[in-house]
Amino acid sequence: MSAPKVAFFDLACCEGCQLQVANLGEELLDLLGHIEVVEFRELMSEKWDGEYDLAIIEGSVTNEEAEEKVKEIRRRSKMVMAYGACAVNGGINGIKNKTPMEENGRIVYGDRFKDYPSMPTKAVGDIIEVDYIVPGCPIYPPEFLKVLKSALAGLEYVIPDHAVCVECRFNENECMYEKGINCMGPITRAGCNSWCLNNGNRCYGCRGLLSNPNIHGARDVMKKYDLDPDVILKSIDMYNAAAGGKDE
Amino acid sequence: MKDVLLKKELFDGFVEALMNSYKVAAPTRRGDKSFAFDFITNPSEVCLDHIPTILPPKKYFLPQHETLLEYDTTEGQNMQAFVEIEPMVILGVHSCDIAGIQCLNHVFMDRPKDYHYQARHDKILLIGYECLRKCDQYASCGLMQTHTPTGGYDIFMTDMGDHYYFSINTFAGKGMVQLFEGFEPADTVAEKTLKKLRSDKKKLFKNETDVSLAEIPSIFEWGFDSHVWDRTAEKCLSCGNCTNVCPTCYCFDVNDEPELNLAKGRRVRVWDSCQNETFAIIAGGENFRPKRAQRTRHRFFRKFKYPVMRYGKFFCTGCGRCSRQCMASINLKETISNLKRSWGEI
Repeated sequence: MSAPKVAFFDLACCEGCQLQVANLGEELLDLLGHIEVVEFRELMSEKWDGEYDLAIIEGSVTNEEAEEKVKEIRRRSKMVMAYGACAVNGGINGIKNKTPMEENGRIVYGDRFKDYPSMPTKAVGDIIEVDYIVPGCPIYPPEFLKVLKSALAGLEYVIPDHAVCVECRFNENECMYEKGINCMGPITRAGCNSWCLNNGNRCYGCRGLLSNPNIHGARDVMKKYDLDPDVILKSIDMYNAAAGGKDE
Repeated sequence: MKDVLLKKELFDGFVEALMNSYKVAAPTRRGDKSFAFDFITNPSEVCLDHIPTILPPKKYFLPQHETLLEYDTTEGQNMQAFVEIEPMVILGVHSCDIAGIQCLNHVFMDRPKDYHYQARHDKILLIGYECLRKCDQYASCGLMQTHTPTGGYDIFMTDMGDHYYFSINTFAGKGMVQLFEGFEPADTVAEKTLKKLRSDKKKLFKNETDVSLAEIPSIFEWGFDSHVWDRTAEKCLSCGNCTNVCPTCYCFDVNDEPELNLAKGRRVRVWDSCQNETFAIIAGGENFRPKRAQRTRHRFFRKFKYPVMRYGKFFCTGCGRCSRQCMASINLKETISNLKRSWGEI
């Protein structure tokens, strides 16, 4: 049995998630023993024109060219994984969806903005069917490996739909709210092993909201700690402006 | 077994003697008001005057992530049970947390026995530490009557001014005391002082609520449909803090974690929580407790009703962690009290 052919692609993004893969170190070597990487712009110049067993896409779709590219990748791939906040829920690129496209164009390109057509930011999953996702900005490498292994084994992988707080308690961190610091942990999906919190930072909600967050309750919590919920909840937009969230 | 006394200035020496024979876990400072049990490398790290730690010592009996077995499918289906535990001492465990471990013992030693739990349990020695005053406003050890130990420890330490009184409960406890030469036998004066101290404690650790322990079963008999659960659910973020920090919550999930070759891997047990929305989802997508109110109610019933039916025991130790950790201020004492008051209301 030949090793599965895996290709890495990037759209609108900072390529930070590819960097996480490149930085896997020893695990990368182990990984390369089990897959054949046929395209990976950050690491190699080779291209491939056959069928991919697994395409791993970073970045969001922000113009027609990217939309076509994503569709082409889907046609040529048995399985597709969207990884990183940009690919999974639009990520930081989604911020532009809050202002009219023409205004965005003028801010960035001035009067010649029409030469650089752009459209509202979309996640990869908004354009094509995606088999696996790895949320986060950047991806949490151990989770990426877990999802990749599921893909290689052909098994479903379900991203947790419970709060980051769960993992934060596992790690016995002192609660940010106890320190009077706002935190998106209670309404953000776990799976990152509370990576930021373990390192003294707060949660920014980069992995996206829970499917059913208690936003009213979260507002009350912020008020209790003398924090302004309107300002804080806006910060969710940093990563999630392109994604809709329901509040029940 | 004959109890002993230890001069306070010799305590560090005793801890060092323990560290020579065991891994020693003790409460250590984590933040301004927070503590955590951790393995110590120096007796000076021990904080005996701690309020309940973020996680209870259950994490040593039932770790957050625990490998149950290793498998290899290269030839057939080979599986090998996996237990990794060294003999260890947990030092400075409050009586509420000892009560919590006693609850877990009931669950995991019940048939069918959980051998992973048993293997850990058999390697862990407990040295308790007596609370002489209430830790904070969240605790309800007065209501739950867990402020004074009722067994479940190897040694229990009580502060007596310039001495610690060591109540020795097991041969293992006696063995630990024999590791260090600084102990003196407890005389009748010390025994009397301990008795006096414990009877004085009853005045300090009064019931913190307007609910008596005796009426809890009846409150939870009719309280299932109370509106209290809807009000609690409005606040609840389903973050799972309350169950993760609870000394008697033991629900878990089991996952297989393959290596990259996909043939070998580990089966891992991970803490789960009834507060997580996905907890009660079964094959086909049905969710037994899709509403937040159902989930918050379930937690209380798992403390005050179901274990009473199953084990004849409340599974609340009054440690106050669930209320202390709840950013939404859902308070256990208030909830029980409101539940009592909601009688007759809809």
